[in-house]
Amino acid sequence: MGGEPGGPIDTADHGMKFWEKQANALRNTLTRRKVVRLDELRRAAEDLGDNYLKLEYFERTTHALRVVLLERGFFTEAELTAKMAEVRKRHG
Amino acid sequence: MAKHHDHDHVDRSGDRSFDQGPPSEYEIMSRAMQELLIEKGVINADQIRSRMEQFDADLPYRGPRVIARAWSDAAFKQRLLANGRTACEEFGLDMEAEKLVAVENTPQVHNVIVCTLCSCYPRALLGMPPTWYKSENYRRRVVREPRAVLREFGTVIPDSVTVRVHDSNADMRYVVVPMRPAGTEGWSEDKLAGIITRDALVGVTLPRAS
Repeated sequence: MGGEPGGPIDTADHGMKFWEKQANALRNTLTRRKVVRLDELRRAAEDLGDNYLKLEYFERTTHALRVVLLERGFFTEAELTAKMAEVRKRHG
Repeated sequence: MAKHHDHDHVDRSGDRSFDQGPPSEYEIMSRAMQELLIEKGVINADQIRSRMEQFDADLPYRGPRVIARAWSDAAFKQRLLANGRTACEEFGLDMEAEKLVAVENTPQVHNVIVCTLCSCYPRALLGMPPTWYKSENYRRRVVREPRAVLREFGTVIPDSVTVRVHDSNADMRYVVVPMRPAGTEGWSEDKLAGIITRDALVGVTLPRAS
């Protein structure tokens, strides 16, 4: 997107929510330990196409991590769905 | 411009384990992936916790310390400009294998950094990037009209000064070495570090003596 026209920049730093810090630490721990690579995460984010801009930054990175971890077989779609239901129940 | 001790990475949600309100689908997804990876022994919970602490407590303050040293020690500055990563390692900082290019502001050249691809940023020196660094508008415009973008940050660069924009990537990060402001003669490195802000090291503002 570099070089495309754009609107005014909000120069305030809005900080990060707790879950964003945790999501960042997760991604960072995984890239640092070379479980996943930054390039493949970016590819997975760019594959979002038009949806790229509809998601917030950490939604995009979380989506990308899901794609790459599933591709690499660290867990299955079914395991993730079940775990998400468990987390939702616990915090809902 | 706030001082560097409180300008950055403030957790406005307070110190607790969950944000207010019901968790979003992505929050649930992130937590579920983390738990699965911990259960499967790929990572452990301590690694996540210590990484979160490091991002809050250590990384954001490294950049100002390094630049204060560069301002105080000409030989160190030369080594920093020659090879940012090894210079930082000599300073006792683990730079996590990324290549670091330090670009020096001079009376003739002002430097500013961006990642048009995503949000590559010298995290080992500055912690997490601010919201605007990740924003689409900054990434779009700073490479096309950097002077206008800098003006939005309150920074006016005279037409006689060249503005160079450096586009980062996953393996190569930049940090700006600002000019040491007049009026800081004889200051200790600690005192100098106190006026070196994250924004100045990205190149969107200039450090001031007060």
